[in-house]
This record gives sequence, C-alpha cells and structure tokens, in this order.
Amino acid sequence: MQPKISRRAALGGGAAAVVLASCGGGDPPPSDEPAAGSGAGLLGSLAALEHAAAAAWAAIGEELRGEGRDYARRIRERELRHAERVSELIRSLGGAPPEGRSREEYAPSFARLRSEADALHFAADLEEKLVRSYLDALRSLPEEDQRRAAAEIAAEEAEDLAVVHVLAGTPAAPYPFVTGTL
Amino acid sequence: MIVRRRELVAAGAALALARPAAAAAQPSDVEQLERLLALEHRLEAAYETALARDAIEPRLGETLLAHEREHIRGLTQALAARGRRAPRATAPPPQLGSALASRAAFARYATGLEAETVAAYQDVLATFRDERLLQPLGSIMTATAQHEVALRDAVGRDLLR
Repeated sequence: MQPKISRRAALGGGAAAVVLASCGGGDPPPSDEPAAGSGAGLLGSLAALEHAAAAAWAAIGEELRGEGRDYARRIRERELRHAERVSELIRSLGGAPPEGRSREEYAPSFARLRSEADALHFAADLEEKLVRSYLDALRSLPEEDQRRAAAEIAAEEAEDLAVVHVLAGTPAAPYPFVTGTL
Repeated sequence: MIVRRRELVAAGAALALARPAAAAAQPSDVEQLERLLALEHRLEAAYETALARDAIEPRLGETLLAHEREHIRGLTQALAARGRRAPRATAPPPQLGSALASRAAFARYATGLEAETVAAYQDVLATFRDERLLQPLGSIMTATAQHEVALRDAVGRDLLR
C-alpha cells in the first residue's frame, strides 16, 4: 500500500524540483493568506509553480521545431490556464495569488538547453514534477472543489507528459502508475 | 410478460424511494472503489476483445491491457483491505461491437472509455475519505489520462484534446 516511486520519476522529479525551487515553485505562500489550513498556502505554491512552468515551456519551445514547437505553445497556454484556475481558488478564500515573474527573472534558474533532446528531457522532468505536486496536494487540500481542481489539473499535466514522451519517440504511457502504485 | 411488468414497476418504485436518500448520502470509500473497479474491468474487456479482433495495434493493446490489469490488482487489494471481495467484471457495453470495425473506430471508442474513467477518478478524488489512497488513486488516474494520448497518437490524431 506504500506508494513506490519509479527511479526515473525520483531522479527526474528531483532535477525539476531543484530547478523550479529557485524559479517560483519554491516561493513562499502569499503573506496575506486567509487562514491556516484553508489550503491557500499550498495553492499559492502551486500557482507559483505554474507561472514558472509557463515560462519554462516558452524556453522549451524555442528549442523545438515543427509540431513540437506547436505543442510547446499549447502546453504553455494550458499552464497559464492552470495558474489562473488555482489563483481563482485562492481569491475565493480571500487571498492574493502570487504573480508570475518576468521571463528574464526565471531564465537563469532553468537548465541550459542546447538541443531538442535537452529541451524534451527538461520538459519531462518539469511535467513529472507538476503531476507529483498536484497528487501530493490532494492530501492537504481541505475542500472538495480544491481537490477536484488538483485532480483535473494533474490529469492534464499527465497528458502533457505523455505528449513529451511521444515527441521524444518513446511510448506515450510507459507505466501503469505515473508516480507510484497501490 | 405481466409478471415482468409488475417486477419492473416494483423495482422502479423501490428505486424511486431509495434515490433521495442515496443522492443525499456521499458514497462510501468502498462503493467508490467498486465503481472504479467496474470501470477498469470494462477497459480490460475492451482491450482483450480488441486484441483478439486485431482492432488495436498489438504492442499498444498489450501495454494498455497490462496497465488495466495492474489497476485492477491495486483496486482489488484496496477493497480486500476493507474486507470486501471484488465484484465480478461487468459486460462490455453494446457499442463495442461496432467499434471493432477498424483500429481508428476502436481508438475513438476506447478514448471515450478512458475519458469516462478519468472523470470517475476525479469525482472520487474530490470526495474520498481515506487520505492514504489519494496519491495512489491519482497515480492511476494520471496513467489513464496518458492512455488517451497514446490512443490518439496511434491513429494520428491531435495529441491534446
């Protein structure tokens, strides 16, 4: 019953976590959060992570060509929608969601991307980190609408990860459990 | 015929009486797991049949079938831990017959089944009481979402919805 983490997930998620901890994912929750235990703090961290992910996808897209670049643009737009959806949940609690930073502020903290393969590797790490963050959040979010949003966004992040797999020439759905097992 | 009608009327009345209480009450964790298990069995049956009829590329079909069996194993274990025997598989829906006409038709059909299953997991994750199972159930849900991408890829469709 203990969740098992695949080696790739552990390594990849860790790499992305290191990168994103310094570019938004590790931002402290908003200082004017409504109340402890309301979920606002965790949601603030997720919104910050989404802003960082959107900036990362802009950088990833620059290294991709053809349909890869088109998918990068669409996935970036999805990350921005996720950021807005999470921010709306924070506002509904009376909190102020974090703003995204400028691209220049995020850029130094991203992995250096010298090729399409670098970009897809970084993208896979990033999406694994996002999936895990939302699934981990399920345990701590107290409200049904918060948990539903986390579940729905996690599913979209998993789709994005599958798209990255396809672009890299590997199976879209390689494992029966994306981040663990029953 | 008359007996059957009577039975239907009686069953309908019982259902009508039961519905308000059932709608008001949140399903138990066991009921939610049983619902998910039934959906996973439906997917298993669909991929088994598609493989037998060559309605899916064999490698992809075997992979997705293996995943569904892992999901079934996990859900069955979770139910057993709660003292429940896993319910038997439900019959595949009748539309499966026409979906077997071609690989493209089956991919569309299976994508729909996978999407329904993802939506069911999302319902469960929003209301499930046992916090220890949220991450593992979410892990199955996200793998199921990836199945949709795999099926779209198999027939050259846009990978994203």
